[in-house]
Formats: sequence, C-alpha cells, structure tokens
Amino acid sequence: MKIWSTEHIFSYPWETVIKAAMRKYPNPMNPSVVGVDVLDRKLDTDGRLHSHRLLSTEWGLPGIVRAILGTSRTVTYVKEHSIVDPEEKKMELCSTNITLTNLVSVDEHLLYRPHPDNPDVTILTQEAIITVKGVSLSSYLEGLMALSMSANARKGWDAIEWIIQNSERENVPLCDLY
Amino acid sequence: MNSVGEGCTDLKREYDQCFNRWFAEHFLKGDRSSDPCTEMFKKYQSCVQKAIKEKDIPIDGVEFMEQDKEKPDS
Repeated sequence: MKIWSTEHIFSYPWETVIKAAMRKYPNPMNPSVVGVDVLDRKLDTDGRLHSHRLLSTEWGLPGIVRAILGTSRTVTYVKEHSIVDPEEKKMELCSTNITLTNLVSVDEHLLYRPHPDNPDVTILTQEAIITVKGVSLSSYLEGLMALSMSANARKGWDAIEWIIQNSERENVPLCDLY
Repeated sequence: MNSVGEGCTDLKREYDQCFNRWFAEHFLKGDRSSDPCTEMFKKYQSCVQKAIKEKDIPIDGVEFMEQDKEKPDS
C-alpha cells in the first residue's frame, strides 16, 4: 500500500474552479477519460449536491505492467462521488476503480476550498491510496503507480485551468469594436 | 464527452447542458430550488442503466463516503 498526497493552488475564486471541476471532461490533458456518465444526482437536506458518476478510462499502463497484470482489458471503470457545499464553499470528491479491483485499487480523495486568507485563490488537496494485490513486485508497481499519480495530478490541474480559460474566453467578444 | 452507452450520448449532452447551466447560474449563486432537468435525466439514466447491464459493469457493491450515506433505521 502506498499513500500519495499533494496540494495545488489555483489563482481563481472557488466558484470558478468548481464550475470547471464539474465539467472537467473532455479536456486535452486527460485523453484517457473516454466517457463520463451521471448515475445519480441529488440535493441533500443541507442543500449539498451529491453526484455519483461513472468514468470510463483507458489506462495508460506501461506494457510491462500490463504483461504482469495479465490483462487485455483496455477500459477501466471508475466510480466517483462528489459533494458540493455552496454554503461552506467546499467540494469533496472520492473515486475508486471498480474494475481490475482484484489486481489494483486506486482510491482518491480531493478537496477544493477557498484559501482562508484570500478568496480569489482556491486550494486543492489531493490524496490517493494505491494498493497492488496478489502479484510479486507489488511494491515496485505501487511506486510506479505513485509516479503516474503525480504526472496525472499535474494534468488534472492543467485541465481545470484549461477549462477555466476556455470558458472565460467564450464570454469575451471575438473582436473589440472601436 | 461520450456516454458509456453509445446510444445515450445525445441524451447525456442534452442533460449536461441543462445541468451545467443550472449549476452555474442558480446552484452556486445560492438558489436552493432543484434543477429543471429531471425529465431529461430520467431518460438519460434509464439509457445508461441499460448499457451498464449489457456491458456487465459492476457499479454496485462499491461504497465510499460512508458517513454521508443515509443509514436505514435499525
């Protein structure tokens, strides 16, 4: 088992980041996410929005890992539960893979909240627990997965920024008229 | 972005558009009324459920954020 964690700062207010996070896919940084579906969505009695989503992903596992895991299945499914609390200004997201679970599990937890001293800035804290099961070399594989988590986290941040910039651009006229 | 069910993608996009508008323009601005996309969601959801069954995707049996789940009275 390997625990991985990181923190990232977005130079945008919480609402802007959350809007982008909710429609993060598709984006050019995460081409491995090939499908996103909402399984269930509801408001709870505290006014928080719960979304259960199913992500279809093509995992970019190195060939050697695929060989060790002995899988030919290319699409892996991930289930995601997010809670957006507009009062507290908090978005929490948990995800876990639901296929290949006999081989590996990646459980991720993300939390977006405004910076306590600066409302124009949003902090994302992110952690993951990686467990490779039942194969030799599992600690080697867990290390490898942790490395790819770091690369993927960066892609995720870039994706949010990309969504923000592209949606902001939609509101800007194509040419300024004098 | 596509749906897991090839035939559900149009329904998904229609629903997503409706939801995203409500989320940005109402929900995040403190409007507590529920979204107006329920009918669209029902159609989309039943399409997705069919696709999940056909593809045998194990969506049940995985639960997290236990503390947020409503527990049945015992």
